[in-house]
Amino acid sequence: MSAESHDPLEGFDTTIHAPNRLRICALLDTAGEAEFGLVQKQLGLSASVLSKHITVLMDAGYVGQRKAVRDTRQRVWLHLTGRGRDAYRGHLAALRAIVGPSDPAL
Amino acid sequence: METNGVRLTPEQARSALADTEHIRASAAALSATPWPNWFFITLTLYTAALPITYGGAMADPDWLLPGPAWMGIMLAMTAVYGALFAVAAKTWRNKTGVALRFDVLPKRATVPLAVGLPVLLVGAAFAFRVTGWPVWLFAASLISAVASVGFHLAFVRLHRKVA
Repeated sequence: MSAESHDPLEGFDTTIHAPNRLRICALLDTAGEAEFGLVQKQLGLSASVLSKHITVLMDAGYVGQRKAVRDTRQRVWLHLTGRGRDAYRGHLAALRAIVGPSDPAL
Repeated sequence: METNGVRLTPEQARSALADTEHIRASAAALSATPWPNWFFITLTLYTAALPITYGGAMADPDWLLPGPAWMGIMLAMTAVYGALFAVAAKTWRNKTGVALRFDVLPKRATVPLAVGLPVLLVGAAFAFRVTGWPVWLFAASLISAVASVGFHLAFVRLHRKVA
Protein backbone atom coordinates (compact mmCIF):
# COMPACT_ATOMS: atom_id res chain seq x y z
CA MET A 1 0.00 0.00 0.00
CA SER A 2 1.47 3.36 -0.96
CA ALA A 3 1.70 6.25 1.46
CA GLU A 4 -0.29 8.47 -0.94
CA SER A 5 -3.39 6.26 -1.00
CA HIS A 6 -4.69 6.96 2.52
CA ASP A 7 -7.48 4.59 3.43
CA PRO A 8 -10.09 6.22 5.71
CA LEU A 9 -10.85 2.80 7.18
CA GLU A 10 -7.39 2.88 8.77
CA GLY A 11 -8.80 5.43 11.21
CA PHE A 12 -11.22 2.88 12.64
CA ASP A 13 -10.40 2.74 16.34
CA THR A 14 -11.62 -0.19 18.41
CA THR A 15 -11.00 1.67 21.67
CA ILE A 16 -13.34 4.47 20.63
CA HIS A 17 -15.85 2.30 18.83
CA ALA A 18 -17.49 0.87 21.98
CA PRO A 19 -20.83 2.75 21.89
CA ASN A 20 -20.49 4.62 25.18
CA ARG A 21 -16.90 5.60 24.45
CA LEU A 22 -17.89 6.93 21.05
CA ARG A 23 -20.60 8.99 22.71
CA ILE A 24 -18.19 10.26 25.37
CA CYS A 25 -15.77 11.34 22.64
CA ALA A 26 -18.58 13.01 20.67
CA LEU A 27 -19.62 15.01 23.72
CA LEU A 28 -16.09 16.05 24.67
CA ASP A 29 -15.20 16.95 21.09
CA THR A 30 -18.20 19.29 20.87
CA ALA A 31 -18.08 20.73 24.39
CA GLY A 32 -14.30 21.13 24.63
CA GLU A 33 -14.36 20.23 28.30
CA ALA A 34 -17.20 18.79 30.38
CA GLU A 35 -17.78 17.98 34.02
CA PHE A 36 -17.97 14.29 34.91
CA GLY A 37 -21.49 14.69 36.36
CA LEU A 38 -22.73 16.38 33.21
CA VAL A 39 -21.31 13.63 30.98
CA GLN A 40 -22.99 11.08 33.21
CA LYS A 41 -26.33 12.90 32.98
CA GLN A 42 -26.15 13.56 29.23
CA LEU A 43 -25.29 9.95 28.41
CA GLY A 44 -27.51 8.35 31.06
CA LEU A 45 -24.68 6.30 32.56
CA SER A 46 -23.95 5.33 36.12
CA ALA A 47 -20.84 6.83 37.70
CA SER A 48 -19.11 3.45 37.82
CA VAL A 49 -19.76 2.65 34.15
CA LEU A 50 -18.65 6.11 33.06
CA SER A 51 -15.55 5.80 35.25
CA LYS A 52 -14.68 2.50 33.61
CA HIS A 53 -14.93 3.94 30.11
CA ILE A 54 -13.02 7.07 31.07
CA THR A 55 -10.23 4.91 32.50
CA VAL A 56 -9.96 3.02 29.19
CA LEU A 57 -9.86 6.30 27.24
CA MET A 58 -7.32 7.80 29.63
CA ASP A 59 -5.12 4.70 29.43
CA ALA A 60 -5.17 5.10 25.65
CA GLY A 61 -4.12 8.72 26.05
CA TYR A 62 -7.37 9.97 24.51
CA VAL A 63 -8.91 11.74 27.49
CA GLY A 64 -7.41 13.98 30.14
CA GLN A 65 -8.90 15.20 33.37
CA ARG A 66 -8.67 18.27 35.56
CA LYS A 67 -9.86 18.55 39.11
CA ALA A 68 -11.54 21.69 40.41
CA VAL A 69 -13.36 22.56 43.60
CA ARG A 70 -16.95 23.78 43.35
CA ASP A 71 -19.22 24.40 46.33
CA THR A 72 -16.54 22.85 48.59
CA ARG A 73 -16.71 19.60 46.57
CA GLN A 74 -14.11 18.38 44.15
CA ARG A 75 -15.34 18.04 40.56
CA VAL A 76 -13.62 16.32 37.69
CA TRP A 77 -13.55 18.00 34.29
CA LEU A 78 -12.82 15.84 31.25
CA HIS A 79 -11.41 16.77 27.86
CA LEU A 80 -10.15 15.06 24.73
CA THR A 81 -6.39 15.20 24.29
CA GLY A 82 -4.95 16.13 20.89
CA ARG A 83 -4.33 12.45 20.26
CA GLY A 84 -7.88 11.62 21.32
CA ARG A 85 -9.34 14.28 19.03
CA ASP A 86 -7.35 12.94 16.08
CA ALA A 87 -8.39 9.37 16.86
CA TYR A 88 -12.06 10.34 17.24
CA ARG A 89 -12.11 12.27 13.97
CA GLY A 90 -10.28 9.46 12.22
CA HIS A 91 -12.85 7.05 13.55
CA LEU A 92 -15.72 9.23 12.29
CA ALA A 93 -14.04 9.33 8.87
CA ALA A 94 -13.85 5.54 8.90
CA LEU A 95 -17.53 5.27 9.80
CA ARG A 96 -18.42 7.65 6.97
CA ALA A 97 -16.31 5.60 4.59
CA ILE A 98 -18.18 2.46 5.63
CA VAL A 99 -21.55 4.15 5.11
CA GLY A 100 -20.44 5.40 1.72
CA PRO A 101 -20.18 8.84 0.14
CA SER A 102 -23.66 8.86 -1.35
CA ASP A 103 -25.51 8.77 1.97
CA PRO A 104 -27.63 11.96 2.15
CA ALA A 105 -27.44 12.03 5.96
CA LEU A 106 -23.66 12.62 5.95
CA MET B 1 -10.66 -6.98 25.63
CA GLU B 2 -10.66 -4.98 22.46
CA THR B 3 -11.07 -6.84 19.21
CA ASN B 4 -9.12 -5.56 16.30
CA GLY B 5 -11.09 -7.38 13.66
CA VAL B 6 -14.36 -5.48 14.09
CA ARG B 7 -16.57 -5.63 11.03
CA LEU B 8 -19.38 -3.14 10.61
CA THR B 9 -22.25 -3.03 8.17
CA PRO B 10 -23.10 0.35 6.60
CA GLU B 11 -26.30 0.33 8.66
CA GLN B 12 -24.36 -0.08 11.92
CA ALA B 13 -21.94 2.66 10.91
CA ARG B 14 -24.86 4.94 9.99
CA SER B 15 -26.48 4.27 13.36
CA ALA B 16 -23.22 5.07 15.19
CA LEU B 17 -22.89 8.32 13.24
CA ALA B 18 -26.49 9.28 13.98
CA ASP B 19 -25.88 8.65 17.66
CA THR B 20 -22.81 10.90 17.70
CA GLU B 21 -24.78 13.58 15.87
CA HIS B 22 -27.47 13.44 18.54
CA ILE B 23 -24.86 13.81 21.30
CA ARG B 24 -23.16 16.61 19.38
CA ALA B 25 -26.45 18.52 19.10
CA SER B 26 -27.22 18.27 22.81
CA ALA B 27 -23.67 19.36 23.73
CA ALA B 28 -23.91 22.25 21.26
CA ALA B 29 -27.11 23.39 22.97
CA LEU B 30 -25.26 23.56 26.27
CA SER B 31 -22.36 25.46 24.72
CA ALA B 32 -24.84 27.99 23.29
CA THR B 33 -26.37 28.76 26.69
CA PRO B 34 -26.70 32.57 26.78
CA TRP B 35 -25.09 34.72 29.46
CA PRO B 36 -27.20 35.45 32.53
CA ASN B 37 -29.20 38.67 32.12
CA TRP B 38 -27.12 40.63 34.62
CA PHE B 39 -23.97 40.00 32.60
CA PHE B 40 -25.69 40.60 29.29
CA ILE B 41 -26.69 44.08 30.61
CA THR B 42 -23.15 44.65 31.92
CA LEU B 43 -21.65 43.68 28.56
CA THR B 44 -24.05 45.92 26.65
CA LEU B 45 -23.37 48.89 28.91
CA TYR B 46 -19.63 48.33 28.63
CA THR B 47 -19.66 48.08 24.83
CA ALA B 48 -21.86 51.18 24.65
CA ALA B 49 -19.65 53.20 27.02
CA LEU B 50 -16.32 52.22 25.47
CA PRO B 51 -16.53 54.33 22.27
CA ILE B 52 -17.50 57.41 24.29
CA THR B 53 -14.73 57.08 26.88
CA TYR B 54 -12.14 56.19 24.24
CA GLY B 55 -13.26 59.14 22.13
CA GLY B 56 -13.01 61.39 25.19
CA ALA B 57 -9.50 60.13 25.92
CA MET B 58 -8.42 60.78 22.32
CA ALA B 59 -10.13 64.19 22.03
CA ASP B 60 -8.01 67.21 21.20
CA PRO B 61 -8.84 69.71 22.68
CA ASP B 62 -10.33 68.12 25.81
CA TRP B 63 -14.02 67.24 25.64
CA LEU B 64 -16.05 67.58 28.87
CA LEU B 65 -13.21 66.09 30.95
CA PRO B 66 -9.42 66.12 30.65
CA GLY B 67 -8.00 63.30 28.51
CA PRO B 68 -6.34 61.50 31.46
CA ALA B 69 -9.68 61.49 33.32
CA TRP B 70 -11.37 59.77 30.37
CA MET B 71 -8.50 57.31 30.20
CA GLY B 72 -8.84 56.61 33.93
CA ILE B 73 -12.58 56.03 33.55
CA MET B 74 -11.98 53.71 30.60
CA LEU B 75 -9.36 51.66 32.45
CA ALA B 76 -11.48 51.50 35.62
CA MET B 77 -14.58 50.31 33.79
CA THR B 78 -12.50 47.80 31.82
CA ALA B 79 -11.10 46.43 35.08
CA VAL B 80 -14.60 46.16 36.56
CA TYR B 81 -15.85 44.54 33.37
CA GLY B 82 -12.96 42.04 33.45
CA ALA B 83 -13.73 41.11 37.05
CA LEU B 84 -17.44 40.67 36.30
CA PHE B 85 -16.59 38.62 33.21
CA ALA B 86 -14.50 36.26 35.35
CA VAL B 87 -17.40 35.85 37.79
CA ALA B 88 -19.93 35.35 34.98
CA ALA B 89 -17.70 32.85 33.17
CA LYS B 90 -17.21 30.81 36.34
CA THR B 91 -20.93 30.86 37.10
CA TRP B 92 -21.74 29.92 33.50
CA ARG B 93 -19.32 26.98 33.54
CA ASN B 94 -20.65 25.71 36.85
CA LYS B 95 -24.22 26.02 35.63
CA THR B 96 -23.72 24.36 32.24
CA GLY B 97 -20.94 21.89 33.11
CA VAL B 98 -19.13 22.58 29.84
CA ALA B 99 -16.23 24.80 28.80
CA LEU B 100 -16.85 28.36 27.69
CA ARG B 101 -16.21 28.46 23.97
CA PHE B 102 -15.94 31.42 21.62
CA ASP B 103 -16.51 29.44 18.44
CA VAL B 104 -20.16 28.54 18.98
CA LEU B 105 -21.56 31.09 16.55
CA PRO B 106 -20.60 30.77 12.87
CA LYS B 107 -17.47 32.59 11.71
CA ARG B 108 -19.50 34.65 9.24
CA ALA B 109 -20.97 36.37 12.30
CA THR B 110 -18.01 36.48 14.67
CA VAL B 111 -15.25 37.53 12.25
CA PRO B 112 -17.02 40.74 11.10
CA LEU B 113 -17.68 41.55 14.76
CA ALA B 114 -14.07 40.91 15.80
CA VAL B 115 -12.85 43.15 12.98
CA GLY B 116 -15.70 45.65 12.91
CA LEU B 117 -15.93 46.67 16.56
CA PRO B 118 -12.28 47.69 16.97
CA VAL B 119 -12.48 49.59 13.65
CA LEU B 120 -15.66 51.26 14.87
CA LEU B 121 -14.05 52.17 18.20
CA VAL B 122 -10.93 53.68 16.68
CA GLY B 123 -12.71 55.13 13.65
CA ALA B 124 -15.33 56.95 15.70
CA ALA B 125 -12.69 58.40 18.03
CA PHE B 126 -10.64 59.53 15.03
CA ALA B 127 -13.66 61.09 13.32
CA PHE B 128 -14.59 62.87 16.54
CA ARG B 129 -11.05 64.16 16.98
CA VAL B 130 -11.00 65.51 13.41
CA THR B 131 -14.51 66.96 13.25
CA GLY B 132 -15.27 67.68 16.90
CA TRP B 133 -18.75 66.20 16.50
CA PRO B 134 -19.61 63.87 19.38
CA VAL B 135 -22.34 62.31 17.25
CA TRP B 136 -19.64 59.94 15.92
CA LEU B 137 -19.12 58.60 19.42
CA PHE B 138 -22.81 58.27 20.15
CA ALA B 139 -23.39 56.50 16.84
CA ALA B 140 -20.54 54.05 17.58
CA SER B 141 -21.95 53.54 21.08
CA LEU B 142 -25.39 52.77 19.68
CA ILE B 143 -24.02 50.36 17.06
CA SER B 144 -21.96 48.55 19.72
CA ALA B 145 -24.98 48.19 21.99
CA VAL B 146 -27.10 46.90 19.11
CA ALA B 147 -24.37 44.37 18.25
CA SER B 148 -24.30 43.17 21.86
CA VAL B 149 -28.09 42.75 21.94
CA GLY B 150 -28.03 41.05 18.54
CA PHE B 151 -25.43 38.52 19.63
CA HIS B 152 -27.29 37.79 22.84
CA LEU B 153 -30.47 37.14 20.89
CA ALA B 154 -28.53 34.93 18.47
CA PHE B 155 -27.34 32.80 21.40
CA VAL B 156 -30.86 32.62 22.84
CA ARG B 157 -32.18 31.48 19.48
CA LEU B 158 -29.38 28.98 18.88
CA HIS B 159 -29.76 27.55 22.37
CA ARG B 160 -33.50 27.04 21.88
CA LYS B 161 -33.06 25.72 18.37
CA VAL B 162 -30.57 22.98 19.20
CA ALA B 163 -31.95 22.21 22.66
